[in-house]
Amino acid sequence: MSEPSTLVRAKNLVKEFSPRGGIFARRKGRGVRAVDGVSFEIQRGETLALVGESGCGKSTMGRLLMRLIEPTSGEVDFDGIELLKANDADFRTIRRRIQLIFQDPASAFNPRMTVGAIIAEPMRLAGFSRERCRERVKELLPLVGLADFHADRYPHEFSGGQRQRIGIARSLAVHPEFIICDEPVSALDVSIQAQVINLLTDLQKQFDLTYLFISHDLRVVRHIADRVAVMYLGRIVEIGDKRAIYSRPLHPYTQALIAAVPLPEPGRATSHTRLTGEIPSAQNIPSGCRFHPRCPYAMPICHERDPATVVTGDGRQVACHLVSQSLDIQPQALEPQRM
Amino acid sequence: MLMGTLRGTPLLSVRDLSVQFRTDQGLITAVDGVSFDLRAGQTLGIVGESGSGKSVTAMSLLRLLPPATTRIARGEILLEGRDIIKASESELERIRGRDVSIVFQDPMSSLNPVLTIGRQICEPLRLHLKLSRAEAKERAVDLLGFVGIPSPRESLGSYPHQLSGGQRQRVVIAMALACRPKVLIADEPTTALDVTTQAQILDLLRELQSKLHMAVILITHDLGVVAEFADDVLVMYAGRMVEKSPVSQLFARARHPYTQGLLNSIPPFGDQELEKLPAINGTVPSPFAMPSGCAFHPRCTFASSACLEAVPELASCGPNHVAACLRVTELERMHA
Repeated sequence: MSEPSTLVRAKNLVKEFSPRGGIFARRKGRGVRAVDGVSFEIQRGETLALVGESGCGKSTMGRLLMRLIEPTSGEVDFDGIELLKANDADFRTIRRRIQLIFQDPASAFNPRMTVGAIIAEPMRLAGFSRERCRERVKELLPLVGLADFHADRYPHEFSGGQRQRIGIARSLAVHPEFIICDEPVSALDVSIQAQVINLLTDLQKQFDLTYLFISHDLRVVRHIADRVAVMYLGRIVEIGDKRAIYSRPLHPYTQALIAAVPLPEPGRATSHTRLTGEIPSAQNIPSGCRFHPRCPYAMPICHERDPATVVTGDGRQVACHLVSQSLDIQPQALEPQRM
Repeated sequence: MLMGTLRGTPLLSVRDLSVQFRTDQGLITAVDGVSFDLRAGQTLGIVGESGSGKSVTAMSLLRLLPPATTRIARGEILLEGRDIIKASESELERIRGRDVSIVFQDPMSSLNPVLTIGRQICEPLRLHLKLSRAEAKERAVDLLGFVGIPSPRESLGSYPHQLSGGQRQRVVIAMALACRPKVLIADEPTTALDVTTQAQILDLLRELQSKLHMAVILITHDLGVVAEFADDVLVMYAGRMVEKSPVSQLFARARHPYTQGLLNSIPPFGDQELEKLPAINGTVPSPFAMPSGCAFHPRCTFASSACLEAVPELASCGPNHVAACLRVTELERMHA
């Protein structure tokens, strides 16, 4: 049973993409575990940021939560309802409460539909009357900083920032509670980025929204998140309160990510932990701790044993042998990530 | 001021560069009156948002824009005193890749997907340096090792798709450095890369620059990258220079409201927390509907009626520091 304030709970989520043998496939490859046993909770009204580099599985994770991709195994609990076991009718009602905002909203728009029709689309699918749709569009446009007359225009007439506003309006149309924002500001110019971030935080307060904010930009995450989950090769390596993670990152990967952020402070010493190498392919997951080939502190045990997730004094969860050894936390404090 | 004369004559000197595009909807000025000097071993960061003209400036330096639709309307691009604008096709061929190289955001735009990287690195070596096949191959192995490709000899036979994004960018940098250029233009070289890879590539560029004493023009929208890498910064907006200054000066005391706005809109990274990010209102103007007067006036919180009338000229506001804002001295007094 989940606590009353928990809105979303993912437990041991796994997504394995099986190799497809096309005519160009030379041999049958191994399956790729894009998400490999991930568990976390999101509290109502909070923003959990999911950070990591390309290929770490963060976007797949977002799609699993709303079953845009079917998980291979695991559980997703939304407001007490088991999403993966829900029947079609139940699922459709739940799905309305979960919305997704993309990096490039225009890719999800039909270019021949007016902005008004685009925003109203989720409502039409939910069976709203034409009249109600029109009224709701009128409500939504000023909410996202657009004007009434924009409803009759077409997507190509808008700039990137304005299109993201349209995407946000559409996601709000059916009064969702949970919005998965997948790199919503990554494609925008700096000055526009700040506008859209402000809009997202305003709307969160106004409508008591819960966000999963997927991003690779640690500066933006530092601003918008309440809690942060760091993903590496399909696993969460560290998750906890934003302030704790940014002021004292524990996992060596989190440390390296934060150290790599270029800051607008010229003359700052750049002698920080540099990661060598690149994120390995999910087809060849290293033995033991999957971060060990790039980890500056790797010990013999890291080559052999997958680190269990432990809970630290400040309530953070970290999966690292060094951290559990140096803080002397016994791994049995929490069930291991591996199933 | 004395320092300036001691540092000697610039390697690259751009004077009043203006570039126009012919479009179906008429002539537009993409770059208007850009000037800067660049010395050996120095890095100039060019910052701006999409449509600011920063990439067009970079492409014009090598005359890479299609002549059918582009016209360099005005200005000079002096590379060691020779004007690139007046250079013949054969002279241009020598300059491109040999004196001045360019690295783009997407490494695949510079790589041929069906040729091995060995062949692609050897080509400029054989063409420009007239090396033999065997010599070129040895040089290519050195270069790949130099840019940090593991087992360089083996990777000569790899195709671009077999490499990761970061490694492809390393290969492109190796190609750009093949003939030891005097000037390297890097157009958003790390924008498509992950943060940890970005840090590696910037470290690499910094190291190569000090080893080879190259001048670098770094074009980016990321002020963090500029702060870590550039000596001087040029800020562009709607095709014009709005501010230029040494990097420390720009971050400590930006004078143009647009630069200030850009700096403020970066989410803080330290202990400081903001309820709201100070965003710049509005959007970048379309080149077909440029505002009158100062192009930034519709988005500027300090705009006065004079800003709607006159296009502000660049004026000095400190040592090596210029800004194009009518109200720059007034605003300075306000802040003081």
